Amino acid sequence: MARDYDHLFKLLIIGDSGVGKSSLLLRFSDNTFTGSYITTIGVDFKIKTVNVNGQKVKLQIWDTAGQERFRTITSTYYRGTHGVIVVYDVTNGESFANVKRWLHEIEQNCDLVNKVLVGNKNDTPDRKVVLTEDAQRFADTMNIKLFETSAKDNINVEEMFLAITKLVLKAKLEMQERQNVTQNDTVNLRKTNKQGKKKNCC
Amino acid sequence: MGSRIRENVKHFFECFCEVVPPTDQSEPWIIQQFPDNYKDHEVLKSVPKFAYPYKFTNDVIQHYSFVLTDVEGKWTFGFCRHDPKSETAIVVLSYLPWHQGFYKFLDTTAVLMHSSRTEDLREFLTAVYNTKIAEPGRVFSVCFNRGESLFSVDIPRPFQLPSIPENRNLTEYFNAVDTHTMSLIFASMLFERRIIFTSKKLKRLSACVQSANDIIYPMIWQHIFIPVLPMSLVDYLLAPMPFLIGVPEEVFKQVKRSEIGDVVILDTDANTVETPFDDLSSLPQEVVASLKKQLRNKQLGDGVSRAFLRALVQLIGGYRDALKFQPGQKVSFDPERFIETRPLSLQPFLREMLHLQIFQQFIEERLMMLNTGQGFSDEFEFEIEGYSAKSGSKLKQQYKEWTTTMKKEGTAFFKSVKDKANPAMKSAVKTVKDGGKGVKSAYKGLRSKLKDNQAPNQLENGLDGGEKHRSAPNSPTGKRRTIAGLSAPVATYRKDAALALKNSAMQRSYSPLSPSSQPMSPDVMESPRSNSPIEIPQIDLMNEMEDLLQLRLDSPPVDRSLKPVRSLENFKNTSPLNSPDRWSKTRASAPVASSPNRFFLQNLGHSQETQNLLQSPDDVFLSPPSVPPRARDREPGGGLFGGGGAPFVVGGGHSENGDPLFFVANRHSVDIVKLSPPTHSPRRKQYQESEDLIRLDSSSDIDDFDPLKSKSGERKVPLTISNPLYTYENGGISNQSVQQQQQQQRNDQDLLQEYGLTFNFSANLQNRSGFEAFGSHGKVNAKSQWTKFE
Repeated sequence: MARDYDHLFKLLIIGDSGVGKSSLLLRFSDNTFTGSYITTIGVDFKIKTVNVNGQKVKLQIWDTAGQERFRTITSTYYRGTHGVIVVYDVTNGESFANVKRWLHEIEQNCDLVNKVLVGNKNDTPDRKVVLTEDAQRFADTMNIKLFETSAKDNINVEEMFLAITKLVLKAKLEMQERQNVTQNDTVNLRKTNKQGKKKNCC
Repeated sequence: MGSRIRENVKHFFECFCEVVPPTDQSEPWIIQQFPDNYKDHEVLKSVPKFAYPYKFTNDVIQHYSFVLTDVEGKWTFGFCRHDPKSETAIVVLSYLPWHQGFYKFLDTTAVLMHSSRTEDLREFLTAVYNTKIAEPGRVFSVCFNRGESLFSVDIPRPFQLPSIPENRNLTEYFNAVDTHTMSLIFASMLFERRIIFTSKKLKRLSACVQSANDIIYPMIWQHIFIPVLPMSLVDYLLAPMPFLIGVPEEVFKQVKRSEIGDVVILDTDANTVETPFDDLSSLPQEVVASLKKQLRNKQLGDGVSRAFLRALVQLIGGYRDALKFQPGQKVSFDPERFIETRPLSLQPFLREMLHLQIFQQFIEERLMMLNTGQGFSDEFEFEIEGYSAKSGSKLKQQYKEWTTTMKKEGTAFFKSVKDKANPAMKSAVKTVKDGGKGVKSAYKGLRSKLKDNQAPNQLENGLDGGEKHRSAPNSPTGKRRTIAGLSAPVATYRKDAALALKNSAMQRSYSPLSPSSQPMSPDVMESPRSNSPIEIPQIDLMNEMEDLLQLRLDSPPVDRSLKPVRSLENFKNTSPLNSPDRWSKTRASAPVASSPNRFFLQNLGHSQETQNLLQSPDDVFLSPPSVPPRARDREPGGGLFGGGGAPFVVGGGHSENGDPLFFVANRHSVDIVKLSPPTHSPRRKQYQESEDLIRLDSSSDIDDFDPLKSKSGERKVPLTISNPLYTYENGGISNQSVQQQQQQQRNDQDLLQEYGLTFNFSANLQNRSGFEAFGSHGKVNAKSQWTKFE
């Protein structure tokens, strides 16, 4: 069967409940009519196909319920994914604190996961408590991109999803390239990583 | 907190639904529900999908369960009953994971649905819905049928390990796959894989998935958990995160294997595991070896559960050594210390374990228990006590000091507990605050409360001291609190409207079946009377189970030791009882309050006992348990019963859950022994009579020696030496007539005499006093440290 895409990527969206993960997904995805199962089986996913540099990329974006009960989200959770969208609510400081903790955990244990930081609900300036500067400073130290979005007003949503898609695609192409270079080698590329010391859980 | 079971559940069930099966033209749908004010539309929308996960025909009555997960990650259990004689399925949704109880509930409901009096069903549902849930260990009972019948369910006790065959899920799992397969799955769960179970039977599927989760207790699966996946959700197998999903075979056929990536697939019908991983070999081999040994030895009762529990004790029990108690600060966990204090051989794997969500949540939960003043009181902690007495007393001491400091400093740490917990827990916490010593009495109070609640006509007289407390819900996924709030549902039962709907929607009508054609629901109801408007059949709850068990007995290639011969051996090997003087017993004269208790602060007695054990390792470890005289000899000072002649039975009765009890007279005392003789079924009778009984005395125990087993044995005085076949029939059914009980009592005595002479009930009084001396600080024997088991 001919595939209708060139690449398939599985992404995770993480963040406290109430930060607007579902809204972001709904805003972005193709299949808005399928309804949500997050309240019945605790997991949901949305699909979207995007074009990046002429290549068709199919995205599956997965969400699970009750993540806020985890002080840390451990590396096994990210093991099978290509990228992570980390969402907090700019009007909720606690959601930002959780996200920071989780990102540190990812950083320590699976640094190969591509990720972006998303401050959602960026549509009511007077309720904003997580300042852009603070978030940006944190994003810089983690070496990731920050997007402030509003799912409600459809601000920056598309850009954010495109950015993570590009990151993941770039990583894949780089890996393929390296694979071509060393194709006669027995090196297991899945175990190789940029810094050579951290664990790869993808 | 790690638990995914809701606490403070108010109603036995949340919603009862009758679901019409799908047709070629239409999806399955709910034809009626109770109470009407249950309004969770998302859930109601899902129920039909789970009640008919795919189109299937049903030849037999089938029970299975499904699980819904809400936005907080908490579980709602759906219990389904499909009856070939009924055109609809019935489903009950509850926050309580009491599988056996809900299957019984559905059976009762099924009978009432066909009652000639249409109000019967609604009255029953209303009564059950409005009845306060009893405390753990007690019986939840509801009168219905205008007072003529009684519906009753034993409330599972906290922390009880699932046992075979009382626990239907585990029994099903155990029958479907062998223990090696169970171990493979256990290992893959410890690597948080993506795991798929498949089966042709929904019943088997849901039971196996539930049990797989039960087996990693005290941890709880934190990821996607879908015991039965409906066809419409098949795409969810693409999830990249860890999951444990039961996929009906019909649904699995739709899956493109290449799309789902690396998964572990257990075919529960064929007992085969397909896996790209080598998880079992990646566990520390010492743990695997001792797990295998334990699984070989003990399978009935809670043998299987306990074998896996002990593997986890070996792996993660040492978390205690990594707890940091600092005055004025919350108790915390030091991962590095956790690794460093473990044997070298375990360290690489434990380092990986730190990155497991199930382990992280376990630690979070334990810290929460400590920081809110609850302490420990579960089976896992007691198993650790048996494993490492020193760690136990040290921790206790540290915790006590920490608690005292916290009290002095007047922090509000415990306040949160009081806000959350039920009244019993509140008083326990209060006592903690009043000082370390008070804790004991608080827990005593809890226990005597339990005792007070026992029905007067039961003979056990507080026998259930320590034993009852550690027993638990069939899926030990968390503590159940039973808080009483009652809210009367404003429910009108739209039976007529619903029936009209039915008739318009279906070709066949749903008119109630005549009593004679009622489905033979495998259930038990109180005293069916001829003048009763409903003829309630006296049905054997064990029907399905019997089939399974018979199957087991009948299939020679798979010897899983269900033969009575081996099962008796199992008795003896069942964890606490490596030596006959540890036969479960309680002195009749012992005041309840001083019966062995298994709560946290009473563990000092354990270490003392362990010490005793260790001081005479030869006696304990090497004497075959079935050689009573030696066992007696090693009692210090000859022991009370040391010189006694053979004990003899002077009387009998039944414990609260129907297990037979015997009063066994020794020279100086009368002990109460709870013993479950083999069942009365003629088939098993044959086995009982076989000469193989002698094998009880075989010395296989030396080979099977395991320090874990022996040590932990010393601290337990379990009341149940279960021959599960027997206890299931009785234990699950609490509403038998007195006459029946008496009849059984006589049978029991006969049976006991059949066996009695081969057993020795000599008491180890030392053990008993060890338990009772929990208040004193026992000396700690260095031998009992973890490192001993490297």
